[in-house]
Amino acid sequence: MVQCPSCARQQEPRLLCSNCGAPLPAELDYFGVLGLPRKLTLDLQQLESIYHEVGRRVHPDRFATQSEALREASLRSTALLTQSYRILRDPISRGRYWLELHGEKLAESNKQVPAELAELVFEVQEELAQLRGANRGAPEAVSGLVSGIRERRQALKESMDEAHGALAENFAKWDRHHANQASLIQNLKAILSKIAYLGTLIRDVDRELEPFDAG
Amino acid sequence: MSTIFGIDLGTTNSLIAVMDGDNPRVIADPETGSPLLPSVVALSPDGSVNVGEQAIELEPHLSVERDGRVGPIGFAGGEYGAVVRSVKRYMGLGGAELAPEDQHRYSFVDSIGSVVRFLVGSRTYTPSQISAEILRALKNRADAAGLGPVEKVVITVPAYFNDGQRQATKDAGRLAGLEVVRLVNEPTAASLAYGLHKMASGRVAVYDLGGGTFDISILSIKERIFEVLATNGDTHLGGDDMDRVLVDLMLADLPDELRVERHIWNSARHEAEVVKKRLSSTETTDLVVDLPGNTVSKRVTRPEFEHMIDGLVNRTLDRCRLALKDARLKPSDIDAVVLVGGSTRVPLVRRRVEEFFGRKPLCSLDPDQVVAMGAAVQAGVLMGARRDMLLLDVVPLSLGIETMGGVMERLIHRNTTIPTSVKEMFTTAVDNQTHVDIHVVQGERELARDCRSLARFKLGPIEPQPAGLPRIEVTFLIDANGILNVTARDERTGHEHSVDVKPSYGLTDEEIERMLEEALDSGEEDLNQRLLIQARNDADQILAAVHKQLAEYGYLLEGEERGRIADIAGRIDIARRGEDRALISTLVEELNLTTTPFAQRIMDEAIKGALEKKSVEEVS
Repeated sequence: MVQCPSCARQQEPRLLCSNCGAPLPAELDYFGVLGLPRKLTLDLQQLESIYHEVGRRVHPDRFATQSEALREASLRSTALLTQSYRILRDPISRGRYWLELHGEKLAESNKQVPAELAELVFEVQEELAQLRGANRGAPEAVSGLVSGIRERRQALKESMDEAHGALAENFAKWDRHHANQASLIQNLKAILSKIAYLGTLIRDVDRELEPFDAG
Repeated sequence: MSTIFGIDLGTTNSLIAVMDGDNPRVIADPETGSPLLPSVVALSPDGSVNVGEQAIELEPHLSVERDGRVGPIGFAGGEYGAVVRSVKRYMGLGGAELAPEDQHRYSFVDSIGSVVRFLVGSRTYTPSQISAEILRALKNRADAAGLGPVEKVVITVPAYFNDGQRQATKDAGRLAGLEVVRLVNEPTAASLAYGLHKMASGRVAVYDLGGGTFDISILSIKERIFEVLATNGDTHLGGDDMDRVLVDLMLADLPDELRVERHIWNSARHEAEVVKKRLSSTETTDLVVDLPGNTVSKRVTRPEFEHMIDGLVNRTLDRCRLALKDARLKPSDIDAVVLVGGSTRVPLVRRRVEEFFGRKPLCSLDPDQVVAMGAAVQAGVLMGARRDMLLLDVVPLSLGIETMGGVMERLIHRNTTIPTSVKEMFTTAVDNQTHVDIHVVQGERELARDCRSLARFKLGPIEPQPAGLPRIEVTFLIDANGILNVTARDERTGHEHSVDVKPSYGLTDEEIERMLEEALDSGEEDLNQRLLIQARNDADQILAAVHKQLAEYGYLLEGEERGRIADIAGRIDIARRGEDRALISTLVEELNLTTTPFAQRIMDEAIKGALEKKSVEEVS
């Protein structure tokens, strides 16, 4: 239950107060918006079909000739619906959102490189720097570096797949009502942070390799 | 309920269409029989306006007289009147954003201010006002065909139009006395026309190369849900640029001042357009312009022309690559490619698109008419004629705010499904600060100054408090038109804050009101009368809507609600018979406010219904 900040009415969480229409402070749980139990393992096809079914009924297209109040309500509800779907559809944002629901946050600007990745990050950046430097130099040196970095990219993508596997495992543990929440949260944080770093590395590598991949 | 019409407000041609039973029908000009209205507007120094073919006749050009002499005719610009072509290119542009070549073609009010202003004698016209003339001509066409009155419309815009360009289009509708129920993206509209009869389904790429704009949209079409996955484009790339290549070729040997001379340039442009079309079916042709004293003639072959426009086509394919990347798809993942826009008739374009996607594109619907047809389909959806179809579009450009150091903080990423909203918390930086300034920008660059400024707004007044204590939650909501709405709320008190948004480009509400009044001087109808009729229509609409809600969802009313609603409805019913426009508007506003909680309950009920339906489906 939440309390309306304007008229003090106690009510189920929703977008606007059912009594006075003021926006309610409580964020409606994204799982709740889509009528799903709070479970991290999701069937994406089912999720999409729920999203479409609710969308068909609440989208502003359905209320174009209605009163302004109803048009507004439809606009807000649909915005919340699309937001919920977008966050839950992607396992990474779903995991981040789960952390938020547990009062934790993975800082966007987390400068602390995860310990297990520190060496890797350093090496990859070093190789990319070498490639940038060698770009003006001998072609054979460049092509050697490029093939090295391509192998590196392959390895990074494999690590990413592994991290996604670990994420799915973490989700399954939550869903089985694992007793030790604190350790699951730490585990989830570590995995998400690893995924974020790997993502940045892969993006950097892709960017440097792009001119070579195209040709 | 009044019919909603679909309008394609194009760079080169504009069209109006309406649903005729289950099928969209483009309304042809009753006199010429042509479905296309050239988007050309002639502005006379006396204030009179011509649109379409009549405007083209007034365009400055060189005419060959009976005695063989070549002389300039038509409006010469400035105090002699102006003929504006491709006004869509200027929509949403600031005065300082005009290119030197624009200055050659038209006269403008000195280049300051948040919107471009064309100068004709002592009169000035914004692009929205000029576009409004095109809309009015389309409205008149439908009225004359006996299908009117046209009051409500859906207008299509390029998918890649930014917020300012969309707003300018909506303003044009308002200035033409139309209610713009929805802006729909052109490629999406085209997909509706193709998808309606299942001509295209699965993952569909819509390649839309018009007169002045290029869009690529990737959609997923299944079970009558049209979901845009990604869109990209260039709002200043189109057939006009192909014409320009030929114009440059024709006029290459002329001295600079003659090359930009309006009569010569327009004659060359006209010839370029004709030759471009001819080159779609012939291999070799001549570009010919008669100048006073001599005739310029240049032979051009199709391979030469293709070589000249190859760069333009490559630019469109670069955009296709970006859109596919955002949709996380490869060209081979696409099940159908649809061609839209007159410029896709150019054989090189077809060939290169086919090569790129590795499949033959669809073009069974007329590429000039398919967008208007789709607009009519969407109008039908909005009228409730089709409850099975649903369009889920995206915002083309990321939206963010300028933070410390001028960095753009992205709040809504490009290709996010709309409507969408994001909340952001703001506070004060110094003690007793009473206002917070926020700068909203749109674009993909890292620094705010490299993005396009969208609006600035001031939060406040904030009660004097120590720095960091006030917490103001700002909601950035992008509606189904792709236009930003901002609301703010004090987290502690729950009170709404006023948000005074100053658009960086475009017109303020006051300016539009003034333009509406000025339009009167040219002698049409009484503005007050028009506004009164509008207020009565609004009153009728809300009364009908609320009655329907009460009948259907009466069980959701709480406490005194029914009595309060009935009371205001009764007062509106009396007021609408009178002449007091302000009273009608106030009461309508009051009824809206009073029914807001009820409306939200109806929405919650709709969601509940949908979810229940889903769970029943799963069990069975």
